[in-house]
Amino acid sequence: MGEAIHNVIIGNGSAGNGAAITLRERDPDCRITIITMGSLPFYNRYDLPRVFRGCYDWREILVHPLSYYDDHSITLRRNSRVTDVDARSRTITFAHNEVMHYDRLLVCAGGQGYLPEELSDYRGLMSGFGSFEAAMTTYKALPAGGTLVMLGGDMIGLDLARTLIDTGYRVVLLTNEYTFWPHRIAEDERDGFIQALGHMGIEVVDGVHPVAVEEGEAGKPARRVIFDDGGDVQGDVVMPSYGLVPTAEFMLGSGVDIERGLLVDPMLHTTDKNIWAAGDVCQIWSAEDNAYRFYYGWNNVRLMGEMAARNVTGANEAFEGLEDERLRIDKKGHIASPFWEH
Amino acid sequence: MNKNGTDIQFAVIGSAGDGTIAAGDILKRAMAGLGYKVIAFDIYPAEIRGFGKCISRVRITTEQAYSLKRHSDVLISLDDSYAIPHVGEVRDYGAVIYESSPIARLPEGGHMTAHVKPSQLPYGMQVRSISERVTASARSRNIVVLGYLAGLYGIDPQAFREIIADKFRTKAQAVTVQNTAAFDAGYEVGQSVFKLDDVQLGPPVRKGDSGKVTMMTGNGAVVRGCIDAGLDTFFGYPITPATTILERLAAELPKHGGRVLQTEDEISAIAATIGAGYTGARAATATSGPGLALMTEMLGLGVMGEVPSVVFVSQRGGPSTGMPTKTEQSDLNLAVFGGAGDAQRIVLAPTNVEGCYRTAGKAFEMAEKYQTPVVVLLDLYLSNRYETVIPPDANPFAPNLNKGLDAWRGDGEYPRFADTDDHISPRALPGEEGGMHTVTGLEHNQLGKPSDAPENHLAMNAKRHRKLDGALSHPDFTICKRFGDEGPVDVGILGWGSTFGEILEAMFAAQDEGIRCSAMKVVMLSPLPKERIVAFMDDCGTVLVPELNYEGQFANLISGALGRPVTKLTRSTGAPMQVEEILAEIRRLAQAKAA
Repeated sequence: MGEAIHNVIIGNGSAGNGAAITLRERDPDCRITIITMGSLPFYNRYDLPRVFRGCYDWREILVHPLSYYDDHSITLRRNSRVTDVDARSRTITFAHNEVMHYDRLLVCAGGQGYLPEELSDYRGLMSGFGSFEAAMTTYKALPAGGTLVMLGGDMIGLDLARTLIDTGYRVVLLTNEYTFWPHRIAEDERDGFIQALGHMGIEVVDGVHPVAVEEGEAGKPARRVIFDDGGDVQGDVVMPSYGLVPTAEFMLGSGVDIERGLLVDPMLHTTDKNIWAAGDVCQIWSAEDNAYRFYYGWNNVRLMGEMAARNVTGANEAFEGLEDERLRIDKKGHIASPFWEH
Repeated sequence: MNKNGTDIQFAVIGSAGDGTIAAGDILKRAMAGLGYKVIAFDIYPAEIRGFGKCISRVRITTEQAYSLKRHSDVLISLDDSYAIPHVGEVRDYGAVIYESSPIARLPEGGHMTAHVKPSQLPYGMQVRSISERVTASARSRNIVVLGYLAGLYGIDPQAFREIIADKFRTKAQAVTVQNTAAFDAGYEVGQSVFKLDDVQLGPPVRKGDSGKVTMMTGNGAVVRGCIDAGLDTFFGYPITPATTILERLAAELPKHGGRVLQTEDEISAIAATIGAGYTGARAATATSGPGLALMTEMLGLGVMGEVPSVVFVSQRGGPSTGMPTKTEQSDLNLAVFGGAGDAQRIVLAPTNVEGCYRTAGKAFEMAEKYQTPVVVLLDLYLSNRYETVIPPDANPFAPNLNKGLDAWRGDGEYPRFADTDDHISPRALPGEEGGMHTVTGLEHNQLGKPSDAPENHLAMNAKRHRKLDGALSHPDFTICKRFGDEGPVDVGILGWGSTFGEILEAMFAAQDEGIRCSAMKVVMLSPLPKERIVAFMDDCGTVLVPELNYEGQFANLISGALGRPVTKLTRSTGAPMQVEEILAEIRRLAQAKAA
């Protein structure tokens, strides 16, 4: 008997976990290892706004019970950052200096919040919402009824914004080209959607260009966002919301093709025979568009993870994405997005 | 236990030389200083330094606890190769703290992250780099991680700084400064970490006592008890785990006017102790099982000559050289029965650190009053275990209980071994006028003169045994005590020595499950308090005897002396017994009785 095939999945989100369970269903004997930089088992990031509704315990947003990993013989490696992948030797190296061999690698590392370079110096004065820890830290920093200043307003941020409005906070949104990301909005539709944000209770400031974030003066809100025209807006918390960029730095030098994300064919196969990718980290070739494109949202990335796993185990299915990715306005006059459905 | 208060067990694990034990020491002292109750136990290799696993477990509580827990709440790894096998001892939602940037290239599975279970919370920190940045050395990694711990759990850093300053007070000032800086750097990092585990540190309940509370090991308490009881002369030969008694007395006893002599071997030590006891001095020695084996012949002389002496025996894994740094309760037979002839002596076995203090002092009273060797049975787990104790306000030990020559002022030759109402003879010390007598290892008559007459041997044997019955009612001393439910119970647990803490915790847990049970600790193993044990057993549907040896020596002693059946629960792995093991057996016995 040979050793069991070792399937390594980098990423503990929807795609990675969809891939893991599909692999287990199709190959009961293989080794499966999920690697994540995070400290927690798989939770639904779309549930993070619940911290503003009294959900302070990470156990309440776990997707699976903790016994899931043992029950399915899936090894979860947390707090583990991959720094290097060597496709020739089929090894990955961790920041903590450990080397791991894989037979087949699925890269489902997702994306990380984008921050324009001109604001990068102010990162320490801004809050995030990309993890449970960040969400709780933001929650603790925002006083009851306080003001959150959101820069950009991608769909992840707008999801949080509507929860904040519902729970008695004030949201000031500084819109720009990243507003509604990843939806692509036609120019003639934009004003309608901006108006819908107003109907939702979000205070929209359109047409300004933030260039700095400062600490607020004594007796005033904790943060001040300064515009290029000298104007400003004050709030208790400032949160960038400029969409995601793929988390793919560790794949540089691995031998696979990378543009912004890992380039994969419709079967989610990279240019290396033993490496697949799924989720926000990859750009999928679209013959229709004659270009590589991203697909976003919980349902899309989970589908990608499952499909990549099927292809890893012998299938040959092509990913097409969900049919309806349009931004809409519902009967209440509020924004509605398929990316909020999960 | 501790359902509503703080109950946290930390396990610091590393290699010899990592400062593992030192980190545990600072942690427990800091927490005790803050007013928490502390039980701590260190495990270290037999080798002196450089390799081998070290573990320091520290349990802090607000309510009284009696043992370490099976599951730790927080594990701190100073060396993953040693800590990884212990990850399983961390409870669900507990924390595992480790080095996130090892310098060595690790094979797959060589890092802690490969082993932390999904139900546990991993906390990686750059321990080495912080230590090197702050102190230009990696040697303060243990202090850095203590700072991290304090920051993560919101523990007052000043309590640690004071202990660090005290710990390094004999070194150059720079050592304290650097270690404090290392602690502060770790603290800053720990404060910034978002805590995900559910380990909760509440305020200490009895902060008002914190000024009086002190941390002691079992051996430390023995030393304190010896000094308070007026120990005059101590003779010792080093042997793990009793050596620290010799070491501490060497440092402390001369300050109190006493003397310590390290002899050439154990036989010399016990011979000198008996010699000193003969002169009227309160004298003692300390050893472990192999040493006690060598001492048994001289103990027989002490019994026959009716000479007071105290022998502290800290048990370790045996037989022979055995396992010097592992705990065991397997010298009971030797302590109670070891030696030639019918040589009954008093054998006492304290069950906790406070008991070590009291038993040590009372051992001198009993040796003196009943004119006999007294063996105090400790074990490595109890000798090295730290607990918070509140020292008594007044010295509880009587300075002189010798039944002196004044008790006999009759005519004729002084009968040193006269039988009396309490079978204790008036005892003249050397040089006392009118007290001239003979002492010999030969059987003797009341004058001390050799005699092998049948009726004399019978009478003297009876006298030497019967006088010890008085010890069963020795004042201000608990020879045995019942805990738990009163009246008839389904399961009774008889325990002795260090295991009794685990027995109590198991009994409380069983009560919480609705099982009627009681536990009795037996401190006096010889003479055995038979009546009280029988009364206890009469109340019990079944009796369980947990102990750390293979044969079930205490269970055999009980069933042999009382003719009552008991259920043995023995374990001889070198580690303390687990509460859960005892609890499982209580459940099994309760279910069997119900069936």
